[in-house]
Amino acid sequence: MTLDHTRPLFIRLLLLAFIVLVPPVGLLAHGALGEFARGLVPEMDKKAETVGRDLASSIERAIGYGIPLDKLQGMDEFFAPVLAANREIRYLAVTDRDNRILFINGAMPELLTPYFSVTDFEGGGSRKSLIGDFVNLAQPLMSKGVVVGHVQVGLDQDYVQSRLMEIAVDIGVMTLCSLLVSVEILLFIVTFNVIGPIRAVSTVMDRVRRGDFGYTCGVISDDEVGRFVHGFNGAIRHVDGLFRRLEAYMDEIKTAHFDKTVVGRVMDIEARVRFLFRFSRTGQPEVINEHQATDIRLPLFLFVFAEEMSRSFMPLFIRDLYTPSTGLDQEMAIALPIAVFMFFIAAVSPSAAMISARKGSRRVFLIGLLPATVGFFMSGLADNVFDLTLWRSLTAIGYALVTMACQSYIAQAAQRESRAQGLGVYVGAVLTASICGTGIGGVLAERVGYRATFVLAAALSVVAGLLIYRLMDAAQPKAEPLSPRKREFLALLRNWRFFALVTFAAIPSKIALTGFFFFLVPLTLLQTPGYDLGDIARIMMMYPISVVLLSPLAARLADKMGWKAGLVAVGGLIGGFGLLLPVLSGDFNVLGVSIALLGVSHGLSASPQLAIIPDICWTECRNMGQTNVLAFLRLAERVGSVIGPFLAAAFIPIYGISGAVIALGAVVLGMSVVFALLSFAYGSGPHIEAELAE
Amino acid sequence: MEKVGPTSTAAAASGLPPSRPVRWSLVRKVTLALVTILLCTLLVSGFFAYYKFESVYSSLVQSRYSFVVFTIKKRVEDNLNLGLALRQLRQVQDVLEREKTRDPQVIAVEVFDARGEVLFDTDRGAIGSKVPQDLIEAIRGGSSQAFGTTDEDNLIVGLPLVNNLGKVEGGVVLRYPAVYVNHGVTGLLLHLLKTGAEELAVFSALAALGLYVLFGGVGRKLTGMEHTLNAVMASGGSALPGGDGFETHFAEFVAKSREAVEHIRDATEEVGRLDRLQ
Repeated sequence: MTLDHTRPLFIRLLLLAFIVLVPPVGLLAHGALGEFARGLVPEMDKKAETVGRDLASSIERAIGYGIPLDKLQGMDEFFAPVLAANREIRYLAVTDRDNRILFINGAMPELLTPYFSVTDFEGGGSRKSLIGDFVNLAQPLMSKGVVVGHVQVGLDQDYVQSRLMEIAVDIGVMTLCSLLVSVEILLFIVTFNVIGPIRAVSTVMDRVRRGDFGYTCGVISDDEVGRFVHGFNGAIRHVDGLFRRLEAYMDEIKTAHFDKTVVGRVMDIEARVRFLFRFSRTGQPEVINEHQATDIRLPLFLFVFAEEMSRSFMPLFIRDLYTPSTGLDQEMAIALPIAVFMFFIAAVSPSAAMISARKGSRRVFLIGLLPATVGFFMSGLADNVFDLTLWRSLTAIGYALVTMACQSYIAQAAQRESRAQGLGVYVGAVLTASICGTGIGGVLAERVGYRATFVLAAALSVVAGLLIYRLMDAAQPKAEPLSPRKREFLALLRNWRFFALVTFAAIPSKIALTGFFFFLVPLTLLQTPGYDLGDIARIMMMYPISVVLLSPLAARLADKMGWKAGLVAVGGLIGGFGLLLPVLSGDFNVLGVSIALLGVSHGLSASPQLAIIPDICWTECRNMGQTNVLAFLRLAERVGSVIGPFLAAAFIPIYGISGAVIALGAVVLGMSVVFALLSFAYGSGPHIEAELAE
Repeated sequence: MEKVGPTSTAAAASGLPPSRPVRWSLVRKVTLALVTILLCTLLVSGFFAYYKFESVYSSLVQSRYSFVVFTIKKRVEDNLNLGLALRQLRQVQDVLEREKTRDPQVIAVEVFDARGEVLFDTDRGAIGSKVPQDLIEAIRGGSSQAFGTTDEDNLIVGLPLVNNLGKVEGGVVLRYPAVYVNHGVTGLLLHLLKTGAEELAVFSALAALGLYVLFGGVGRKLTGMEHTLNAVMASGGSALPGGDGFETHFAEFVAKSREAVEHIRDATEEVGRLDRLQ
């Protein structure tokens, strides 16, 4: 390993984390599934026996009245409710003494006749046998002490397998989340303990190599790196100390010596030393602290994780809090806290960015955590929709402050490297937290309840604050001055390409995100039979996973092919098409695919949306600064974030929940089609030429 | 990083501060983090596996007893539909007792009227008593779905009894011990605890070993560089550039520091000599 290239070290560390985390969880899951099967199969047999015995008892009663077994009426109606109420029972049948099928419900007689004809069910009591994909349990039918036939109960062998698969998927999700969390923590530990200090040492070392002994490293850890830095700084201080003594001696001679020749010679020596080496003017070496974008990644990850924990159940929680006395329709009541949350983020973000630049990211992060933590905690105690709206507003204020503080810190720390890398740190932390938070939050809420999950979110938020408080020093990188003016921002909207991008690409994409993904998806999925909160959370994880997988690819495509407007248009069309997919396929079970397509849509279009700005707003970027133009794009698109939930809520009373998904899809697709048509004019329009000509 | 020239490990001789002791080595720090993550992962995975199993297992047991209750309900309702009053259905007592004898896990089966008075019960002494209010509430809607509730150490599954006019005449409930479900899932819990502990021990050791290999090299390299720095500063010589840019720059740093020390000492001696000339 080389100390100036720590990437291989980190990759090996990740490999080790994979080896240490995945096999034990796999072994644990394998053993648990075995135990699960061993515990479940006997219980299923007992159930089949109970069902067979009760059905046999009823049939025996009928036979006892003198009705021949093959003349029984209404057997289909007799079997149907039993099958409907017991999903694991696939078929019910009655066979005569020769094992011929007299009545059957749930399976085709041709499927079972070959098996029944060669199976011996005699021998008294119930008999269990394997028939194709079924476990068959035969219960004898007795009349006057003689076996006259059998009730056959067929259990689905796949039932146990599918339950095992559910557990395996649960554990798989946990393992994926654990791996992502461990990547974040290990990245933080390696950056904080090795990469950061080594980079700081390199910076100071470069200065010393050029003869500048005016700086030391501000690393005080108690590990090998800290010890090395201690010695390294000691060498610089030693040289500085020797120089200070010489300087004091020379000053004494210069002021007190009577022989001007000696004074002149001493001044020559001083000039020579100062020419060869440089020392701090403050009397001792100054401390250099190397700030990196990754410093803030773990606290940001934890904070966003806390917020995302409620993603999969927020509409369901609001629905539980709803009472008609609020004076709102249920749909609007559900939309209210989600939309207000988005509104406060949009409203506070610009001020948060300015406060962060003025007060420093660390302080704003800590300030923002206060309302956010109170908001999380109190959301868990909310009594009604208005209560929750209030506490979610507080959380949104905190969220805006914290995320803006992080963006500001990253932008400042990444100045020397590249902004794109810094943005990657931010987006990476947010998306990873989104995957883990959504997955773990849903499964947790299923076990411990919505309210306890909010309390856990508040606790995570406190941990993020402690990390910032303890590990980030008070000295922050300097912020660049901000100079946005409202008039300039509004002038941006006169640029038709920018206006079209905001109105027909950025806003519909946010409408789909908040209206469909945040609002309608949990409500729609909960209507699907057999889906619980854990399932909803797992399906919702498809969105951030798709974005994570596609974003880097789209960014590379946008850079290489220069087809940015096209990618934005294609992304929008895919998102709109995805929302309409359930109506096109006629099956609402494909909602998972719609969510994945929304992720694909946003993964494809998010980076090109930013990358296209310097092309279409060349003049504005030059006048206002590219950062400010991008900030305005982000602010403007939040109009869609606020509209989305209300639009979805307005559609529900007209079309129902499933219809609202389609209606929202039609709106998004319609707007995306407009952008797609306009995008053809992007590359060849006179606007760019005019700007370039300036 | 190699040192050429006179060597000395004594930092004091070089004028540098004594080495700071390593209290928390890199290996120990990262091992602690990785083992904590492993522990949390195993705990959370085990927690979810256990509760999922418990949920599936208990719902399967409940659905078995729901079926028993459903059968009793059908029989009672068939009689109610003949126009008989619930209180008059004497044969129900036999049906309940037969169901109880079939399954030793069944603690009691009881039929009560819409006001909550127990009319038939496998525990004949309880006939005439009142059922808890929550059971009366549970049957009130007349739902065809079985309801589940708990009563001290028992789990209860029940269904309302509805006549052919849709009127709720009463309810039938079956009690079975919660310990039956707990017993069924205990095997998995013990397995999870045992396997989890074993895996934690084995993979923690593996993590420690892997991290020692990964970070031990970093520690040794830095310690070697520190010794070289002390030695060169104490008695001269030079550090040979190592295999990467950082070590090459460190060698230049050591050389420059040594150069500065020697130059400042020479300058100090020269100033002293000039001072003494008078």
